[in-house]
Amino acid sequence: MGKFLQSTKCKIILFVLALLIGIMIYAVSKGGYTISGIGIFKSLTAPLQKASNAISASVEHVLDMYTNADAYYQENQALKKEVAELNRELADYQETKEKLADLQEFVGIKEAHTDFTLSSPCEVIGYVTNDPYHAFQIDGGSKDGISLHDPVVTEQGLVGIITEVGEEISTVTTILSPDVSVSAICVRSGENGVLSGTISLAKDGLCRMSYLNLETRVVKDNVIITRGDSGLFPNGYVIGYVKETRTDEAGMTSYAVVEPAVNVENLRMVVVVTDFDGKGGKK
Amino acid sequence: MIRRSTRQERRRYYFLQTLQWVIFGLLIALAFLTSTAGSMLKPLLLIPLSLCISSHTGEIQAMAVGTISGLLLDISCGKLLGYNAVLLVVCCVAVSLLYNYILRQKLFNILLLTAVCTLVQGYLDYTFYYSIWGHEDVGLIYTGVILPSGAMTVASTLLLYAPIKWLAEKCGNRRTHELEKTMLGAAYRD
Repeated sequence: MGKFLQSTKCKIILFVLALLIGIMIYAVSKGGYTISGIGIFKSLTAPLQKASNAISASVEHVLDMYTNADAYYQENQALKKEVAELNRELADYQETKEKLADLQEFVGIKEAHTDFTLSSPCEVIGYVTNDPYHAFQIDGGSKDGISLHDPVVTEQGLVGIITEVGEEISTVTTILSPDVSVSAICVRSGENGVLSGTISLAKDGLCRMSYLNLETRVVKDNVIITRGDSGLFPNGYVIGYVKETRTDEAGMTSYAVVEPAVNVENLRMVVVVTDFDGKGGKK
Repeated sequence: MIRRSTRQERRRYYFLQTLQWVIFGLLIALAFLTSTAGSMLKPLLLIPLSLCISSHTGEIQAMAVGTISGLLLDISCGKLLGYNAVLLVVCCVAVSLLYNYILRQKLFNILLLTAVCTLVQGYLDYTFYYSIWGHEDVGLIYTGVILPSGAMTVASTLLLYAPIKWLAEKCGNRRTHELEKTMLGAAYRD
């Protein structure tokens, strides 16, 4: 062993270790921007990752059909019941009118985003291994005008935020992560709150809208949208739907458990909002 | 009397060595690709794979395998570049040295070493990427992600060990040749 420690081999190994530590320190100093050499490597491996992810998605889809057939049957039955209930509700004009107003607001939100500058659709290359919040990489980067902390969306709603940018590949942290906080508002009640992920809710694909009044008027199925006052997210974009409301541990405020409008676990394509009115606090 | 190896034998040896490293490279690439496919919980195949390879190679080769596997692990896990690479270089070189000086090629040995390496990697991951930030219910990450993934990682050694051992033995790795040379040398002196 002593012979090894004095050998050239040992010196080479120590040199490589020092080099790796140097790379690590340099990567820290880049603050979210991928080191250029690694960006090229990531670009080279991206097609293979895409192929691997596509195969995995197909296999998952087939397995899902077989393993969850019973669950789908149950879901179908539940949906049939729901349809019958909705038909009964149609008879109640007032209630239907309120629902319509909610839907009109939702449609209005979609029509109102003329201020958005969107990237070209980005394909999901692959998910970050064993990330509890389902972070993923997309095939768009600084070359496509994407920059750090740009919001990532789909047509259904907000997905997350860009947390690492390379020239051609970026990493997206989803709204299930506790590291992402979004200023949010309930469309129906107008109550404000802060939406972020928690570890316990993330495993069920849910997140939490905190700091609601103790006597909150936010109820199940209310639509939650972005408030846009942080300058990080555009105003009025759909985040998700309220699943339930609870009182927080201290008993001082309430919080809503929100089901994101987008299922972040099975994404194929997303769009990055590279610019919007109010970005970075500008008017 | 030691017979000099013929040119044909040397050529065959170099061919087998090249083939072995090409297959090792492909296995590492495959392990990287599977780790980025889908969003489900997966074993970190690069850890047992690099340790199994290191147990059959010299220190410098082990260092190279550790560096490449570690950097790939950093990319697939979205970690700070070099973070897993440093750990895997240390582990791979340590494994190579242990097999050079102390350990024998037994499945239990590599299982134990993989378990230690996975435990250290999981603990560092948990500490620096989750626990340090003080999020509530952070223990769920350990029980729900780190431990199951670690268990799968250690279990995957059972699948990887035999084929790598077979390949290394068939392709006549450096250590086998050194041992053979030493034994032949001893026999010649006697």
